Amino acid sequence: MRNQIEFEVSGKYALFTDPLTKLGGEKFSYQIPTYQALKGIVESIYWKPTLTWIVDEVRIMNPIQTESKGMRPIEYSGGNTLAYYTYLRDVRYQVKAHFIFNPHREDLVHDQNEHKHHNIAKRAVQVGGRRDIFLGTRECQGYVEPCQFGEDDSFYDRIGELDFGTMLHGISYPDETGSNEREVRLWKAKMQHGVIQFIRPDECTLVRKVGEGTAKIFDAGNMQSVDDLHSEWFGNEVSE
Amino acid sequence: MSWLANLSRTYDDHAKVVGQFEMKKNGKEYALIPISHTTQTAHIEVHLNGKGDIVNAKVVEKNDGSTIIPCTEASASRTSAPVPYPLFDKLSYVAGDYTQFCGEVKGTPYQDYLNQLKAWCESPFSHPRVQSVLHYVSKGTLIADLVNRGILYVDSQGKLLEKWIAGPGDQEGKKPDIFNVIAADQSGAFVRFAVDIPGEPESRLWRDASVQQSFIHFYEMSLQDKDICFVTGDYLPVADKHASRIRHSGDKSKLISANDSSGFTYRGRFRTSRDAAVVSYEASQKGHNALKWLIDRQGTTIDGKVFLVWGSTSLDMPEPQEDAFSLWDEDDEEAFAGGDTTHKEFALQIRKAIGGYRYDGEYNSKHEVTLMTLDAATPGRMSIMYYRSLDQNEYLDRILAWHESCYWLHRYRKNKNDKPVSFVGAPATKDIAFAAYGPRASDKVVKGLMERMLPCIIDERPIPLDIVRSSIQRASNPVGMENWEWEKTLSITCALVNKKEGYGVSLNTETTDRSYVFGRMLAIADVLERSALGKEEKRATNAIRYMNAFAQRPGRTWSIIQSNLQPYQARMGTGARYYNSLLDEVGDKLQLEDFTDKPLTGLYLLGFYSQRNDLYTSRKDKEAAATFDKDDENQLNEQGDN
Repeated sequence: MRNQIEFEVSGKYALFTDPLTKLGGEKFSYQIPTYQALKGIVESIYWKPTLTWIVDEVRIMNPIQTESKGMRPIEYSGGNTLAYYTYLRDVRYQVKAHFIFNPHREDLVHDQNEHKHHNIAKRAVQVGGRRDIFLGTRECQGYVEPCQFGEDDSFYDRIGELDFGTMLHGISYPDETGSNEREVRLWKAKMQHGVIQFIRPDECTLVRKVGEGTAKIFDAGNMQSVDDLHSEWFGNEVSE
Repeated sequence: MSWLANLSRTYDDHAKVVGQFEMKKNGKEYALIPISHTTQTAHIEVHLNGKGDIVNAKVVEKNDGSTIIPCTEASASRTSAPVPYPLFDKLSYVAGDYTQFCGEVKGTPYQDYLNQLKAWCESPFSHPRVQSVLHYVSKGTLIADLVNRGILYVDSQGKLLEKWIAGPGDQEGKKPDIFNVIAADQSGAFVRFAVDIPGEPESRLWRDASVQQSFIHFYEMSLQDKDICFVTGDYLPVADKHASRIRHSGDKSKLISANDSSGFTYRGRFRTSRDAAVVSYEASQKGHNALKWLIDRQGTTIDGKVFLVWGSTSLDMPEPQEDAFSLWDEDDEEAFAGGDTTHKEFALQIRKAIGGYRYDGEYNSKHEVTLMTLDAATPGRMSIMYYRSLDQNEYLDRILAWHESCYWLHRYRKNKNDKPVSFVGAPATKDIAFAAYGPRASDKVVKGLMERMLPCIIDERPIPLDIVRSSIQRASNPVGMENWEWEKTLSITCALVNKKEGYGVSLNTETTDRSYVFGRMLAIADVLERSALGKEEKRATNAIRYMNAFAQRPGRTWSIIQSNLQPYQARMGTGARYYNSLLDEVGDKLQLEDFTDKPLTGLYLLGFYSQRNDLYTSRKDKEAAATFDKDDENQLNEQGDN
């Protein structure tokens, strides 16, 4: 496909916080990554406001295991507190994702060059992403490598269906919905032979409104055309 | 499946036992509580008739006090502010004449209670017998009635007695019942009602399922605030507060709590906890009630940490932290009491015992096992420390693999007749903790190790090296402990070492592994000296005394042991011939370049144990060996089962 990337992301720990346990602060991980966490990883690999990444599927490679750690989070009201965080350990995921052009970015229509962005994205995967990758929370460093989706054996290859019930899909931000509302999306996750096929954000039916906001505006004030930058650096030289 | 969804499904699967009390081995009662209900200990039972007149009252016996009572969200988590329970409550709420007998109270508890009960009785879900209760409590004469009936006692001013003071004529044993069941003063007594209507079998309102249903429907009606539930995904009434008292009745910590509006647990992206997540009232109630029930029923608690395993098809599953001995039934174990069974037979027994848990019903439906560990870092909030749900057969295979790989011959358990039994299999993780850290290891250390061992069993990970190393160190130091304790430490350490090396209990005469061979030599020296000492002489042999040094510098220490052995060889004369030739034979296995002072690995313990075991069992027919075997048995008898 002309707009798709495939990669493998792995790490020693991951924490895709179950929102129920986030309230009290004793964070406990979901068994599988959320759509939003994977989208964040893809965006760390390569992103521009022109693009909207859609995560298609994830393949769980390693058995799902948890491990807890004692934590000393900072109380912003002063002092420290104690908590147990429960992480997933030794995780490896194969991810397939594709981008579309953000329809709500009419100001960036001139940048909608699919071939260009696809090649940049593929190069970004080759070098392990443009920004650092983390699995769910900031302390769980992840590592990205290119792969063929479906290669290698997964621990769950022979396990028909696993039901994870209702879980968080992600959060819709005004940037990609066009409306000024922030929404939380839920969905019912199922894994078939280790593969979870995500539904697209606009296909989620369980949506809660949780606030409002506005999309960041990109214009000449905070963006620079690459042609301008080139001429600024190299004058009117013609590159080879 | 998410933990709360899984628990609430467990509740639904066992809906038929809701509200039924079962008895634990220690006599404590537990039950799967219906939603919108909780348990309390009642002290006084009041019997009414259908017209709402009191007919009888009595003090509830201590072991009968556990009562399922309806509760609202607000009353379930009430603290100092008075919030009444809907039907049964303390005197200060239920008795209209409380102020008359006990003085002023904070707020208007009686009026609140009455209004709440009225609302229930006026709703379409009212229950005739609850109306009888309303009728009675509206009269406001409860304490007076109880005083008249000799349940409660008043002093000379007509106030309730705070403490029973035996009069000059009273004997100690004649203390009125109410003072025996209640720790504080009488005014804190909890009252439950029964309504006797001729022809209806169940008069006890707290056991009446129709009353429970009536309240559930009534309470449901009052829950107006609906939202999308994060557990079920349905649009349902939401839970405002979640259950505490999960691990035990005095436990204030909650799994879901949201009183933190300053610590940035959810703030930043969300303004209120409601924005961050919502759980429906039903899912929260069912999930928490199921969890409490499971913990009461089959949880293991150490220093506040709860280890819990349950199966979706059959609740009872072999627990990973237990040893192989606890796998078989009480009756089976008689078969092993002799301790002469071979390893093969034991392995077969373990397979059989675990096979008993396998479910051979429908193949299509999924049978899952869930493991859950809970603990609280600070009082108030509880955390899920370990959560794993896996296929039942896979789980049983893992348990089997654990018992078949981390096994050794253990002699420290006793059967129900208090006779020592030997069994082959994996030790309990708690016993591993004592082997590694000594018998005085604190509960904190023990629970930590137990949690670290879980992945070794469930995910077949190698045992953490520090645990193995620490056990080897302790097992190499027999003079530091009692004989039975050392034997226990030794066999557990052997199991841990064997998990990695896979040598087995029976003597391996082929291997030329340096540590193993050295271990064998040490055992021969030990047995030789033991038999020369005679059974009256209890002192430790040279081999045992030098064991620690031997593990560190085998070459040098062996020459000391060997020279110390000479007087005994001399004393035994020709009796030592067998041992001497065996020593030569084993020593021959040792390569010349291996006879150095390089420290031995844990494998030497396996060599030591197997060789000693072999000497004591194979020569059983010979009289001398047989008596020492018995001697050995006797010493083992002294050990406690800890």
